Amino acid sequence: MGFDVQFGWSGTITEVLLGATKAEGGTRSHSYRIGNGKTLPFLENIPDSSAPLIALEICDNPKYWSPIVLAYCGDLVNDCGEWAKAADSVYGSDMVRLYLTSTRQRDFSDIASVGKTVDNVLSKTHLPLIIEGSNEPKIDSEVFLKCGEAGQGERLLLGTAEASRYRSIAAAAMAYNHSVIAQSPIDVNLAKQLNILLKEIGLSRDHIVIDPYTGSLGYGFEYSYSAMERIRFAALKGDADLAMPIISSAIDTLTVKEVRVAEPALQDDIAVQWEFTTGLSAAVAGAEIICVRHPRTIPLLKKAFLSLKSGKNAAGGQ
Amino acid sequence: MALKALDIYKLLPRKNCKECGDPTCLTFAMKLAGGKTDVDLCPYLDEGARAILGATTRPPIRIVKLGIGERSFAVGEEFVLYRHEKTFYHPPGIMFKIADTQTVDEIQAVTTRVLNESFSRVGADLRFSGIAIENASGSADTFALAVETVEKTADLPLVLMSKDPAALSAALTHCGTYRPLIHAATQENYEEFCTLAKHHGCPLVIKGNNIEKLAQLAKDCTTKEVQDLMLDLSPESLQAFIVRSTAIRQLSITRVAPDLGYPVFLDASVMEQQEAAIALGISKYASVIITHPLSQASAKAALTLRQNIYTDPQKPIQMNPGLYRVGTPGKDAPVLMTVNFSLTFFTLQGYLESSRVPCFMLIVDTEGLSVLTAVAAGKLSEMLVKESIKKFSVEDEVSHRTLIIPGYSSPLSGRIEEATGWKVLVGPRDAAEIGDFLNKEWKQ
Ligand code: B12
Ligand code: SF4
Repeated sequence: MGFDVQFGWSGTITEVLLGATKAEGGTRSHSYRIGNGKTLPFLENIPDSSAPLIALEICDNPKYWSPIVLAYCGDLVNDCGEWAKAADSVYGSDMVRLYLTSTRQRDFSDIASVGKTVDNVLSKTHLPLIIEGSNEPKIDSEVFLKCGEAGQGERLLLGTAEASRYRSIAAAAMAYNHSVIAQSPIDVNLAKQLNILLKEIGLSRDHIVIDPYTGSLGYGFEYSYSAMERIRFAALKGDADLAMPIISSAIDTLTVKEVRVAEPALQDDIAVQWEFTTGLSAAVAGAEIICVRHPRTIPLLKKAFLSLKSGKNAAGGQ
Repeated sequence: MALKALDIYKLLPRKNCKECGDPTCLTFAMKLAGGKTDVDLCPYLDEGARAILGATTRPPIRIVKLGIGERSFAVGEEFVLYRHEKTFYHPPGIMFKIADTQTVDEIQAVTTRVLNESFSRVGADLRFSGIAIENASGSADTFALAVETVEKTADLPLVLMSKDPAALSAALTHCGTYRPLIHAATQENYEEFCTLAKHHGCPLVIKGNNIEKLAQLAKDCTTKEVQDLMLDLSPESLQAFIVRSTAIRQLSITRVAPDLGYPVFLDASVMEQQEAAIALGISKYASVIITHPLSQASAKAALTLRQNIYTDPQKPIQMNPGLYRVGTPGKDAPVLMTVNFSLTFFTLQGYLESSRVPCFMLIVDTEGLSVLTAVAAGKLSEMLVKESIKKFSVEDEVSHRTLIIPGYSSPLSGRIEEATGWKVLVGPRDAAEIGDFLNKEWKQ
């Protein structure tokens, strides 16, 4: 006999390429393919897929970074090149997500430094890179162009486009063949609208990664989880404007009350469990890139993802 | 596939004898159509009608109750694959596992922890759900003793885990009337297990890693008159769990395989990655999850995830708008305005309590939106604040006219001053800083 499980899905998630090896015109040790899913996550095994990927978030000016991470990583945080190198060789992450927090200071104008920072990070790590540029419309254009240029050939993922500011970043991505993170606040329709805007100015679908905004566990995750499921579901039902891979970054995790007021001896553990639980659940809901800030979260997620792709006997043994 | 009330009515005896608890056969039929009652309550149904109705009118996933008394809980009776389609109704019980080879002290310690530990979030007390006792010793006496120890320590829902009917039988003499869950019947031993479950009126877990065979086993158990079943899918990996659990949910809610319409049981403690298994169990349809006692960090994360996944995403948990007191505020105490999203209320209230400044919280109706969300959505306005001050008679409660508003609502400060005639003090963005702020700034 055998039961016939029918979900009525027909769509496929668009494939997005991240990073470029020497053979592909870049300098990365790996390149990744994400997307191509035809079911809810982990119900199938997609050949050649690297998802879900784990990205360690770092920054070039740690002034506003979580004290928990600063304490754990020590001196590394003062040199984002070394920090990025450790992401790869010590912490075992799949990607690095560099936040150019230096550009977020008031009256920032040293655009040249942006290029140097990106060069430095690219030379120190072999991992594919995600770069978060400025969040000030006035300097967006210059900052993103500089990032795009510095990372030419490396197939970067650039962030973050929003409905109110997406032109500069899209222009930089198109000029240098990078992909773009499109962020909207926890709503499937807003996610779709932004993708359409990006498409209209010429960015192709296989260069977009959706960020539906991840509220952290206990502080909005209940909404984010369903927003991701809905996006994935719409894609499987055939809506091409939502059929892009999803990135999840619960940036508030290390500042939520449970983590912040934890007794010092437990604080790292709670931070890690909070990131791990959020990241794993986001992957189950549809995210294919999971961003974390605490290095100890990485091996936990990695192991879980391995077991989620084990394939063996998934459908039922004898 | 679901039958309409009138079709069901045609299959009923039409005696209107009320024995089912409904005044007429028709009302019984209407309830059946809505999945709100059980066909078995009508004693006069013929077998043919029972077979048709049984499969189509009961909820697609049977409700199963564990334990009795205050901490008892029910699982199952779910209707959707995605929580956004409706919601998930019955949060999984998460039970701490002990082995009968542990010392009495250890067993008591875990039991006491599950009894007393509670973690308060958003106005709810989050707790673990009960104790699973494993017959690791292989001895019936040792098992019975461990069960007795747990029983004497606390009234909690239990899972009895043993391969040995004799051990289960010995344990059931202590707790058989409290609806413990029996784990687990297999193809080989189900007859003996069904006899025990039926005799004590207990729910029963059936176990196997092949869903076709599980469906057959479930059918076999129901012919032995055990209906309260749960399914242990014996997953070899996290992927095996998610694939089988999703298939079972889909097959049962669509009623393609009514024999699989039972809640899923997951023993995370035997999985290689216990914490990962718990998280997956919560989001992917497990109804009872067994785990070794968790560290503080994992415990809080798991309970918070369960609360999140089982909150209806369509309607945020809300407070009634009104004027709330922290401590016993006098006429000169500060008034702090905020929104009626529960999470916001309890976060702010927590920090206010630890600041030890008696004060009033003016909760305005933003339809459950947080401060930042309400501001972005235009749900927080000066008119709303003005009406709330009036409606909750704030001017009678305090002698001053100064309102502290959340830092994130600062763009509204001028308009609130104009509309209300109150002086507005913009507070910090982060409620954690409210204590400092009040100590420094509150002098009116
Ligand atoms: C979950 C969430 C939602 C949920 C709703 C949750 C809810 N019940 O409010 C949903 C998915 C429905 C949602 C919808 C929207 N959202 Co929203 N959402 C969030 C998210 C992730 C978390 C909100 C939350 O729970 N915060 C936790 C609570 C406790 O925070 P809070 O109420 O602000 O309280 C804090 C402080 O304000 C302070 N405080 C509170 N009261 C008081 C009182 C005093 C006196 C003081 C001193 C301090 C104080 O203490 C608290 C802790 O520090 C935030 C991101 C974020 N980090 O805030 C985005 C966010 C608020 N949303 C945003 C937006 C834009 C929207 C939408 C407008 C999008 C849209 N167009 O549909 C809609 C609007 C709603 C609508 N139209 O119905 C934006 C707002 C952008 C901005 N800066 O203006 C945010 C910041 C996300 C983003 N970065 O894009 N959202
Ligand atoms: S018990 Fe059966 S026959 Fe009697 S009223 Fe109910 S449905 Fe009708």
